[in-house]
Parts: sequence; C-alpha cells; structure tokens
Amino acid sequence: MNIALIKEYHEDMPRRQAQQLAVEYLERVDLGHIAYKRNPALNPEERFCGMLLRAAMVKDAMILIDQPFKIIPHLKDIQFITTALKKIDDLYLSCHIYDYKWMEEKYGEL
Amino acid sequence: MMSFWENLGRRVIQMLTAFADTIVFAGKVFIRIFRRKTYSSAMREVLLNQIYFTSVQILPVFLMVSILFGSLLIGIVFQLLKEFGLTGFFGHVLMGLIVTELSPLLTVLLITLRSAAAINTEMAVMKVNREIKTLEMFRIDVIDYLLVPRVINGIISIVLLSSLCSIVLLVSGTLFSWLIFGMSIDVYTNILLNATNFSDILIALFKCAIYGFFITLIPIRFGLRASHELTSIPIVVSQGMVNVFAAILIIEVLSLLTKLL
Repeated sequence: MNIALIKEYHEDMPRRQAQQLAVEYLERVDLGHIAYKRNPALNPEERFCGMLLRAAMVKDAMILIDQPFKIIPHLKDIQFITTALKKIDDLYLSCHIYDYKWMEEKYGEL
Repeated sequence: MMSFWENLGRRVIQMLTAFADTIVFAGKVFIRIFRRKTYSSAMREVLLNQIYFTSVQILPVFLMVSILFGSLLIGIVFQLLKEFGLTGFFGHVLMGLIVTELSPLLTVLLITLRSAAAINTEMAVMKVNREIKTLEMFRIDVIDYLLVPRVINGIISIVLLSSLCSIVLLVSGTLFSWLIFGMSIDVYTNILLNATNFSDILIALFKCAIYGFFITLIPIRFGLRASHELTSIPIVVSQGMVNVFAAILIIEVLSLLTKLL
C-alpha cells in the first residue's frame, strides 16, 4: 500500500480511494494479491512491479529503470519488463532503461 | 592540566550546540504543526494510527498500573498525613502533589518506556533501510509525514492519559479517604474543590503537552541520526533514551520553578 501513499500525500486523495486505485493498478499487472504484503514477502518480479507502479503514481511520471536485471536477476530477456510497462503505459509520460553494454543481448531488438 | 580544561570546554560546547540544535529543530517542527498544508490525507492516517498505538493500545496496562500504583501511593500519603496530624492539608496534597505532579510524571514515564523507545527504534530502522531516502525521492516531506503526526500524537496522548490517571487517582482517593479518615464522598469532593487551583491544573496540562512534544521529538531526532549500518541502531536508541530522560528532568524542574515564581 506504499504505492497509494504518493497520491495520498501529493494529491490529498482519501486513503480508501488511493488504496482502491493502487489495487486497480496492481491488478493490471496481475498482482492484485500483493496489495497488503510487505516488501520482504515479495518475490523479485512482484517487487519490481511494485517499484514500477510507485514510480508511475507521480503526476506526469518519467520512469527511469536502472539495471532491471539486477532487480530481477533470473530474467532471461526484457519481455517481462516490456509487458509490464505496456500494461501501464497510460500512467507515465516516458520511460528510459539504463544498463551496461554487456547486457545488450538480453534486450534483443528493443 | 590544559588538556583537561580543553576536553571540558569541548564537551560543554558540544552539549550546548546539541541543545541549541534540538531547540531549533523543535521550532521547525512546531511551526509545521500550525501549517495547513501539513495535514495531508497520508499524514492524517499516520496521526490516527499513532494515536491508536500510543493511547488506545496501552489503555489496559495503563489503567492497571494507575490503579495499583495510584492506590498504593494515595494509601501511603493519606496514612502519613494522619500520623503527622496534617489532615488539614489533605486536599492540597491530593491536588497539588498527586494530581498535578505525580500523574503527569507517571504517565510520561510509562509512555516514554513504551512509545518513545519504539519511535526511536522505528526511525533508526527506517534510516538504515533507506526508507527515509525513498520518501525524499518521492518528494514526501519527512517532517510533515513522519515527525509532525508523532509529535502531535505525543501531545494528545500525554494530556489525555495524564488526565485519565488523575481521575483514577482521585477515585482511589475516595476509597482511601473513607477507609483512613472515615470521610464521606460529599466531604471528600468539597475538600477537593476547595483545594483546586485552576492555574495549577493549567500548568499541569501545559507541562503534559511539553512532555508529549519532547518525548517524541527527541527519539525521532536521535533515530534519524543513525547511519546506514545496523550497528548504529542500538547506539542512537540508547543516546535518544538518555536524552529523553534528561529532558523529562529539565521540564520537571522548570515547571517547579514556574510554580514557585
């Protein structure tokens, strides 16, 4: 529910409304069930999506992902991340991914 | 010999600087309390949770301690008054000592042991886990979101719990005045009303508010001093708690001086 905090604080959105919105966004990435879990209870994919949504909650969000394969080390390619980004593409203005040159092959044609 | 004076001087300067820093920090937080922008939906939620953790969850233990300790204390004081033939001062002792001095002190000690220690540790853990940095990254003001709700909660909780403690003490006083002096409730109430000094009660409530402000502010301040290493947590917690107890003593002495003047 840390995702809801951004709206509660910056837009003074009532708690229930902000939490409903956070759950709705989590459901978009098929993670509605993690809404009330704490960070240590999440697996790397869930944690990544949580961080992504938290970043997207800011008004006119510009998302910058630094070394995504460090957050989800077992991923073989970028597909999981691009799919998650597509599902919430109306929530941010732009997204930039930064990584080392030697990780290039994991990104394919992206 | 010179190094002794140098060390002493350095210590005094450090102490005075730390004291001045705390006062400046307290001023900053105090100003935020009166700023409308501080009261966002997120802050109000934290405030409600804090009041629940500090004032409501503690109620069973607090009531039990107040009843046991209060009854014991009142029994001893009444017995002493009777032995020394000071029955005439009964009302003044009850209002002046027990209600305006001992119940705020008992309350602040209980809340310090339970909540101030928890707040100190919570802040230190948040600093170590870089949660404070994450909040700052999202432009969430740490003073507004974390500090002000805890400080307001401290003020509200101490004032309310101290008043509750006073009520418990006065009720046990009814029982002991009947047992020791054979006094009826009417006479007891009359003596209490005659001994009540409105300004003393105001000073006591003001003192409770000051207690509440500082016993939450100091642990927060020390908790935020933690570095990013786990080993810094016990250090800042022990420093914070020592400083809280020093603050309690200073406030107690200042309130006594206010009464004397």
